[in-house]
Amino acid sequence: MEGNKHFLVGIFNDQDILLKAVKKIRSEGVKIHEVYTPYPVHHLEDALGYSRSRMPVAAFFFGLTGTILAILMQTLMMGVDWPMNIGGKPFVAIPDFVPITFELTVLLAAYGMGFTFFITRGLGPTAVPTIFDIRMTDDKHVMAIDLAENKKSEDEIKQILSDAKAEEAYRKDFTEEEFSPTFGKYLIDVLTNGVTVSSRKLN
Amino acid sequence: MATETHELNLEEKFVFSDKAKKKIFLTLGIGIVLLIIGIILEMSGGGHGEHALNLTQDNLASINSDGTESGGHGHAYSWTTKLFAGMWINNLFFTGLALIGVFWVAVNYVATAGWSVGFKRVPEAFGNFLPIAGVLMLVVFVIANHSLFHWTDTSLYDETSGHFDAIINGKKGFFFMPGAEGVPSIPVFYYGRMIFFFLGWVLFYQFIKKQSHLEDVNGGTKHYRKLVTFSATFLIFFGVSSSISAWDWVMSIDTHWFSTMFGWYVFASWFVSGLAAITLIVVFLKEAGYFSFINENHLHDLGKFVFGFSIFWTYIWFSQFLLIYYANIPEETVYFLERLQSDNYSKFIFINLILNFFFPFLALMTRDAKRKMTFLKIVCTVVLVGHWFDFYLMVAPGTLKEHGGFGFMELGLIMIYGSAFIFVVLSNLAKSKLIPVNHPMLQECVHHHT
Amino acid sequence: MQIVSQVREPLITGGKTYKDVTDDICKPVEAAPSKIWLAALTLSLVLLFAGGYFLGDMLWNGIGRWGLNKTVQWAWDITNFVWWVGIGHAGTLISAILLLFRQKWRTSINRSAEAMTIFAVICAAIWPIVHMGRPWLGAYWVLPLPNAFGSLWPNFNSPLLWDVFAITTYFTVSLLFWFIGLVPDFATLRDRATSKVSRIAYGIVSLGFDGSAKTWMHYESVSLILAGLSTPLVLSVHTIVSFDFATSVIPGWHTTIFPPYFVAGAIFSGFAMVLTLMLITRVVYKLEDYITLEHIEMMNIIILVTGSVVGIAYITEFFIAWYSGVEYEQYAFVNRMSGQYWWAYWSMMTCNVISPQLFYIKKIRTSFVMTFFLSIVVNIGMWFERFVIIVTSLHRDYLPSSWLYFTPTLWDIMCYVFTFGLFFTLFFLFAKVCPVINMAEVKAILKDSNSTVYKGRRTIPNELVPEKDRV
Repeated sequence: MEGNKHFLVGIFNDQDILLKAVKKIRSEGVKIHEVYTPYPVHHLEDALGYSRSRMPVAAFFFGLTGTILAILMQTLMMGVDWPMNIGGKPFVAIPDFVPITFELTVLLAAYGMGFTFFITRGLGPTAVPTIFDIRMTDDKHVMAIDLAENKKSEDEIKQILSDAKAEEAYRKDFTEEEFSPTFGKYLIDVLTNGVTVSSRKLN
Repeated sequence: MATETHELNLEEKFVFSDKAKKKIFLTLGIGIVLLIIGIILEMSGGGHGEHALNLTQDNLASINSDGTESGGHGHAYSWTTKLFAGMWINNLFFTGLALIGVFWVAVNYVATAGWSVGFKRVPEAFGNFLPIAGVLMLVVFVIANHSLFHWTDTSLYDETSGHFDAIINGKKGFFFMPGAEGVPSIPVFYYGRMIFFFLGWVLFYQFIKKQSHLEDVNGGTKHYRKLVTFSATFLIFFGVSSSISAWDWVMSIDTHWFSTMFGWYVFASWFVSGLAAITLIVVFLKEAGYFSFINENHLHDLGKFVFGFSIFWTYIWFSQFLLIYYANIPEETVYFLERLQSDNYSKFIFINLILNFFFPFLALMTRDAKRKMTFLKIVCTVVLVGHWFDFYLMVAPGTLKEHGGFGFMELGLIMIYGSAFIFVVLSNLAKSKLIPVNHPMLQECVHHHT
Repeated sequence: MQIVSQVREPLITGGKTYKDVTDDICKPVEAAPSKIWLAALTLSLVLLFAGGYFLGDMLWNGIGRWGLNKTVQWAWDITNFVWWVGIGHAGTLISAILLLFRQKWRTSINRSAEAMTIFAVICAAIWPIVHMGRPWLGAYWVLPLPNAFGSLWPNFNSPLLWDVFAITTYFTVSLLFWFIGLVPDFATLRDRATSKVSRIAYGIVSLGFDGSAKTWMHYESVSLILAGLSTPLVLSVHTIVSFDFATSVIPGWHTTIFPPYFVAGAIFSGFAMVLTLMLITRVVYKLEDYITLEHIEMMNIIILVTGSVVGIAYITEFFIAWYSGVEYEQYAFVNRMSGQYWWAYWSMMTCNVISPQLFYIKKIRTSFVMTFFLSIVVNIGMWFERFVIIVTSLHRDYLPSSWLYFTPTLWDIMCYVFTFGLFFTLFFLFAKVCPVINMAEVKAILKDSNSTVYKGRRTIPNELVPEKDRV
């Protein structure tokens, strides 16, 4: 069993029960590994004690880069490298440069932030998720508690979970390989009709 | 969550305290003093010297343009012009605030917005200023007439007078009477529109207010449904009347000039100022201990509105400017040249953009700023001042020409109008329940969170 | 916990559970293609290939195949371009602006509307490219590359170049927004997949999304910021499209109201197209509980509002043309009404200004048949609007000796048909491989929407309204 992962999985049916449960379980000193929900549950991040997302900061700085790049590009090309008289306007006609500056600001802010999100959350075409319970992308809220991270015994935590109105609470073990599967392993599993951990059976 | 069971007093009533009244009267008093100082300064000092200069310039202008471009014919500048222009700017600005109060209430009913219900009595109280604004608008127009509106000079329509202006003559039908022949006398059509719009707004407002107060007594959803229908009707009326009044009261000052965007430009400026005023009063009432249910989330949304519509105003301003700048047609560029090339006004263009775009944009960008009352107070005040200058820039160059400036008189007038407006709003706010307790969406507002 | 007022209509009817939402929306994706879908796709492909033949012929032989002449140098090509871009505006409006305004009814329609946006922008982008005649020789000129690899740059003062940047940015950002919205739903499909191909395919496109609270937190933040960025972006796109016309000095084109008025028109036509498609999808995919009368009524109200804004803009343009005293401007507008193209002008007025006013009548705006009919009428009207602006202004230029009349050729018509084929082909393919409704977002509002709701109207088919709930 060395290097293996042992979890207790609690299944919740309702977002409001889940929110109360998270607060209650945390207040009893149990460390929650993560909660998986089929849709964003408001204030869950507060209940879990996560600090606010700093994605807006990323967006701001990428946007600022876009603004500066656009202004530099247009002034250098139109004002310095090859000035042209267009409609009798100045070579660097600031009002005319506003639309493109705006567009490039938005473009860089959106894509910069989008990719920051993908990269920091480890999302990508070859990323393979760890599935605690197959219903977590369907209709159930799934709470995973890592037994190695907690001092309390399995039974104690199970009791706390059912006190917090978990619909089900069961133990789930992963091997190291199952817990962080590689894309290659995942492909082979699917192609050889092997069933990846907890996923549905293939036809 | 701890906040789930609110033990809030929703039956609260606003008390217009003597202390607050005293402050308002003090402001009013200072305003009057400043105005008098301003008038005396204008009458005695600098005004006179410029007066003489102005006459010579007028003569030059008329010689140069062969009487077709009659910049300042017949109405020489005097200190009263400055007073009237100042009053007209405030008329426009405060009519806008009052009107946007009603507009905000109507829009929220039609859009079935729940989060703003709790403080809807604040914008609703704005509407009480409409009758006063209407009377002021009419009176100032009657008295000022010529000194503000070049087109009221009937000799412009008289081919024999030497002042005949073919372009303005083409607009005769709009100002005086459609199909008017010969030299007109009284701008009946213009007066008619002014009275009709104010009457319409006041009547719509009275109905909305009455239903809203009946709801407090009777409860049920009957009044709510009536209000939705009535708000929709008001919005149709508003959509047409706000544009036309902008042409009438603002665009016709620069009589030759025209821009199809203008109606929406004035609306955008009105709307941001209205939003800033609503936010400011809500924040002040909250600080005075009212509106216990209002939390950071409500403030956040109000902040978002001020932020978003500041950008919207900039969009409208910039689109109009860019198109005129780009096409470079003299008939149109004159409007911006008059402002940008003038020592008096060019600085205000930049002040306008800084106060109304850059400042609110940068200050309200972060989430935290929108949720803090101190920030909102600063930004909303700046935005209100900024949009006053926006109206100043619309009115002053066309009426005051090279005599424009910002001094005691303008400051005094703002204080007088501002304290009158606040007095009307607060005294009406005290007359009914502060919170519409029977509004079917009130609980949504009380439990609002982002 | 959200408190929902009793006066609100339920957004999702039929007492759906979370499981039902997943099953109902995934079913059309997982099941074998239905006959009606195959028929629709075949029809779209026929349009695509028939139109494609003429488009190819036009590219081979040159744009002389079109009915353009030396006075009317822009006609159907740019009309179609503006029309398609306009249609593309509704998706971003629904997903971004309505998100910021907390209009929860958007959740059932935003996915399809965004998809429509992307396909409409693709259809639009074809026009400026093919109207170059031989795009393979010079399409790269629009990029900020030194011309002929010397040192002359594209003209950054030109609205046409701004358009390139605006449309490109709009397309790519909308694509990102749409894709980010799809990721959680792809994850659902991945976990439900029972065939190898779909398991691997949805596994790749779902990017390993697992729905952890931390990911959702950042995801929500990203969605909000994208909405915030898309809102001015969507305004800027049609604004810049309007600059193509309004920066010039052609009477009828140079008018300052163009930017906001084009945006309103775009939203107007975009919503009409969303309605047309959603009413069909609703029936074919049996989504009556997700796209209810309430949704349709809300969209009709937006059509009514934007239609009225457009109407006010027409009147404003007309009035200011008279008020300005500029005779060319006055002629341009009189010519629109009573000149050779009077029929286009009056079609536009009837379809755009008069027909949406029917939505004041509650019976009409809550009628499926009338909504479907009027949504098509509105789009016909909006096509005529662009045609009127472009062709009527051009065909009477400053030099009377060069006044000409434009008549479309078969190539004009068939190239337009090609874009229809492309649009519908892409839409039907989308509807087969992606969930047409955003499951995650619908689930997020399900609880609020299903709690006791005031049923003033029957949004649930065949369900009797209790006496006490009637208004």
